[in-house]
Amino acid sequence: MLWLVRAAIVILYPRTDDWPGAEDCDLDAFLERFRRESTFLMWLGVVVGAIVFHLTPLMTVFVPAPAFLLSPALADRHAHKVSSSNVYLVRQAIFLVKLPGGLVWGSHPKVRERFALPALGGDPGTFRASEKANDP
Amino acid sequence: MTHFAYRGRDEADLDIEVDYVVVGSGAGGASAAVTLARGGARVAIVEAGAWRDPEDYPTSAYGAMRDLMDDWGAQVTMGRALWPVVQARTMGGTTVINSAICVRTPDDIFDQWKREHGVEGLRNRVLAAQDRIEEDLFVSEVPVAARGRSNLLAMAGATAMGLKESHYLRRYVKDCLGAGQCLQGCRDRRKQSTNINYVPETRERGGVIVSCAPVDRVLTEGSRAIGVIGRFVHPNTRAEGTRFRVRAKKAVVVAASVTHSPLILMRSGIRLPALGKFFRAHPGTGVFGCYDDPVDMNVGATQGWASTQFRVDPGLKLETLAIPPELVASRFAGGGTELIKRLSRFRHVAMWCHAVRAESVGSVSRSLFGSRPVVRYELDGADMLRFRRGMHLLAQQHVAAGAKSVIPGIAGMPFELDKDDIDKLADAPLDPRAYIAILSHLFGGCVMGRDEKTSVVDARGRVHGMRGLVVADASVIPTNLGVNPQHTIMALATVFAEHLLA
Ligand SMILES: Cc1cc2nc3c(=O)[nH]c(=O)nc-3n(C[C@H](O)[C@H](O)[C@H](O)COP(=O)(O)OP(=O)(O)OC[C@H]3O[C@@H](n4cnc5c(N)ncnc54)[C@H](O)[C@@H]3O)c2cc1C
Ligand code: SF4
Repeated sequence: MLWLVRAAIVILYPRTDDWPGAEDCDLDAFLERFRRESTFLMWLGVVVGAIVFHLTPLMTVFVPAPAFLLSPALADRHAHKVSSSNVYLVRQAIFLVKLPGGLVWGSHPKVRERFALPALGGDPGTFRASEKANDP
Repeated sequence: MTHFAYRGRDEADLDIEVDYVVVGSGAGGASAAVTLARGGARVAIVEAGAWRDPEDYPTSAYGAMRDLMDDWGAQVTMGRALWPVVQARTMGGTTVINSAICVRTPDDIFDQWKREHGVEGLRNRVLAAQDRIEEDLFVSEVPVAARGRSNLLAMAGATAMGLKESHYLRRYVKDCLGAGQCLQGCRDRRKQSTNINYVPETRERGGVIVSCAPVDRVLTEGSRAIGVIGRFVHPNTRAEGTRFRVRAKKAVVVAASVTHSPLILMRSGIRLPALGKFFRAHPGTGVFGCYDDPVDMNVGATQGWASTQFRVDPGLKLETLAIPPELVASRFAGGGTELIKRLSRFRHVAMWCHAVRAESVGSVSRSLFGSRPVVRYELDGADMLRFRRGMHLLAQQHVAAGAKSVIPGIAGMPFELDKDDIDKLADAPLDPRAYIAILSHLFGGCVMGRDEKTSVVDARGRVHGMRGLVVADASVIPTNLGVNPQHTIMALATVFAEHLLA
């Protein structure tokens, strides 16, 4: 399922002449981490979003093929149209796959540099352990 | 030992006894705990989340969802529209991820509580508590150097519109650096979230802190609350650990938030008809203004300006709010190269938002399997009119500040509206599904009142029909406020704790 999510995110946040795309953002490692760290329901939502993304080109660009088989230009048109769908549940499903895509794209050092923001310092994930008996 | 964190299944159960157990360490819980500790009592704070210090905070929005948010921020309302219900799960509760805006309880609220809920005698004590809290938490206006362009533009727009009430915010922040990171936790230790003041003070005064410890239920003996039990949960792996039991000689104070406090009471066998009812919120959304010059909204205080001019009519609060590019990336409509083109203008957009003083009422209940809260909530027609009006006002304010266009984020409308077209917002759809909103100010579920049929606690936070069981968080608030709620929650919790000591 990971590749399905990856393929959707790469189409949603493509590389352009001026900007890095999601594929330039260490996407595989990020998605692996996201799957491992997030809750089952959260990941399920992302996978459902990716499935909806890949199965809807007939609704948007009128081609009966999954999005990952479309030509880059057609896939790009599909990405835009399906994200702005008039059907609420489709829009919501696509939002679920856009969310991790945006998280990885927006935190990329090159993107942040273009936005005049410092690179992010990392997420230590640390917390206070139980204090030892002789701690103050 | 005075801080117990996660304990694996191979370790011994934790069993301790104190005078008072406080469940939750957010705005309400920490204020109640420190008041009890200052009064000389031995207090235990039992918190579901981990105890993270500013050095432990994440820097990315992903990290904030993972380490600080309740349920990864994925809780949504069950209604026609699925709007996120955002709260934290960490030591310090939602004060860690909020913008620290401090607003006193408006006078009309006390009158309304008296008139509609029979709640009396709170005004003077709440206001006195707010005086002390403001001193404790260094409440001050956003310093000039930390205002940032988005906040300055908002002030200019409000002035140009002739808004009579428009101000830079007073916040629980000491010497803000304008790092714009409030929603991920202030790594600079400037924001006074309760994990860096009231919680450590409670411990220093002889209290015990139990973290990574979601309370399952309150232990009772007849109609008396005698403690709490649960199982430790690892904050990273979510693995269940050993059991904990914290016994209370005097009382149990539940302050686990609007969504969790009602559930804890339900699991504890409290059967009051109003439990989980009268859920209210201030739903809100943002409108982006597009400016010729860079705004760089992430530079400066996350929220630095507000207006309460429309609090009563039509029932709105307007504020600035800076969100990071990671969230704007999914917030902007569209996909593919068009989305990247839209995002490339990030430096030139400023997001301002509204919080609707919504009258709609919902409920909090238990999910079919497990212990997750289910929030049923939907805005009615009158609230949707307020909601839409707020967006129109924000667009007008942006244009008054010099924006050339606005991005309203409404499905079925153009992505961007030219400054001459913003009045189209007056006819925007009234279907909540067309909007991307969030609920961050929550109220109710264990509301205060005199009548056992329509309320859960009395004006001292005591659960009807129980002894030694008090609720002291936003869930007791029986109405919306129309202003940011943290100050009211902290003051109410302080007053309830003072009553316990008396
Ligand atoms: C993004 C955002 C920005 C905001 N900005 C502002 C602002 O600027 N000003 C303002 O006034 N208000 C603001 N608010 C609202 C304000 O932060 C909350 O209203 C307030 O913190 C609620 O206080 P509380 O004590 O009810 O709950 P919380 O502060 O959420 O605390 C509840 C605590 O209970 C813990 N808990 C939950 N379940 C259990 C359990 N079973 N066992 C043990 N512990 C448990 C939670 O982990 C949490 O620590 C904001 C909210 C959000 C989401
Ligand atoms: S704006 Fe920055 S320095 Fe100021 S309180 Fe928020 S995170 Fe801290």
